[in-house]
Amino acid sequence: MTMMTAPWKRIRSALLAVAVLAAWTGTALAQEFEKVENIPKQEIPAGRFVSIAYGIIWLAVLAYVVMVAAGLKRVNQEIADVKRQLGPKG
Amino acid sequence: MRSLGTGFWVAVALAAVGFLVVPSLILQSPIEPNMGFVQKIFYFHVPCAIMMFLSTFVCAGGSIAYLFKGSERGDRLAVAAAELGVLFGVCTLTTGPLWGRKAWGVWWQWDARLTTSLLLFLMLVAYLLARRYGGPAGRKLAAALSLFAAINVPLVYKSVDIWRTVHPKTTVVTTLDARMRVAFWSAFLLITLVWTLLLIIRMRLERARADLAALRLDAEDELAEGRR
Repeated sequence: MTMMTAPWKRIRSALLAVAVLAAWTGTALAQEFEKVENIPKQEIPAGRFVSIAYGIIWLAVLAYVVMVAAGLKRVNQEIADVKRQLGPKG
Repeated sequence: MRSLGTGFWVAVALAAVGFLVVPSLILQSPIEPNMGFVQKIFYFHVPCAIMMFLSTFVCAGGSIAYLFKGSERGDRLAVAAAELGVLFGVCTLTTGPLWGRKAWGVWWQWDARLTTSLLLFLMLVAYLLARRYGGPAGRKLAAALSLFAAINVPLVYKSVDIWRTVHPKTTVVTTLDARMRVAFWSAFLLITLVWTLLLIIRMRLERARADLAALRLDAEDELAEGRR
């Protein structure tokens, strides 16, 4: 096993200290926020979103009612037609 | 076919009153401090999701009756419920992202609650597609599929407690402020009433179709007898 001399030990410690310092300052810089003034305010319109959400629900329900009612009307019409074809026995 | 009873029209009148009263209760309920006004979507989003769950269970119940007892009524109930599941699934999956965009900053997040909900919706869509395009065995295939959809419901419900998600937890309803609770339960009652009425009219359509099919068979028999 080779023994490390005193100057090499000092150099290694110094390099280690530099690496730790660089890592710490790098993280600190990355976490720093930069203050910017007079930028346009980003506002998501909540009222519009709520209206759209309710609108979607009631439109979907209304469309479904119309669809089922149309289907019922068509089937009832067909039943009447077939009954007419069958005559008095039907 | 029998005409719709008085109870049905009373329920329709109640739903009409609900349409006027419930939005005002929601507007009067306090604004949630973290999410602000957009939280008001919650009052209809959650009942719609519950109706999707209920539809899945009813569909599975009807399918069990059809698969094991050959009940045609069960099959009619199942298809009506599956359609309502898709309808309320559309409502849930479109109102949720509107809320999420404002509350989380994104329209969609592939987290456990949202993903399992989408999966449930797709299973209900698959049920309807299997019935329509599955050929002679389509109805049975769809009925079996609905059982898997029903198994998925508890997973969707508990997903927010099992995994870490951005979606609010199941405790959100039980810990509501008193005025928020009134708005929520009144909206829930209204949506349940609407769901029930839609189920009744959709089942009527399915029954009318069955009557028409039976009449056509009679007509064909009569035609065949006439030829002989």
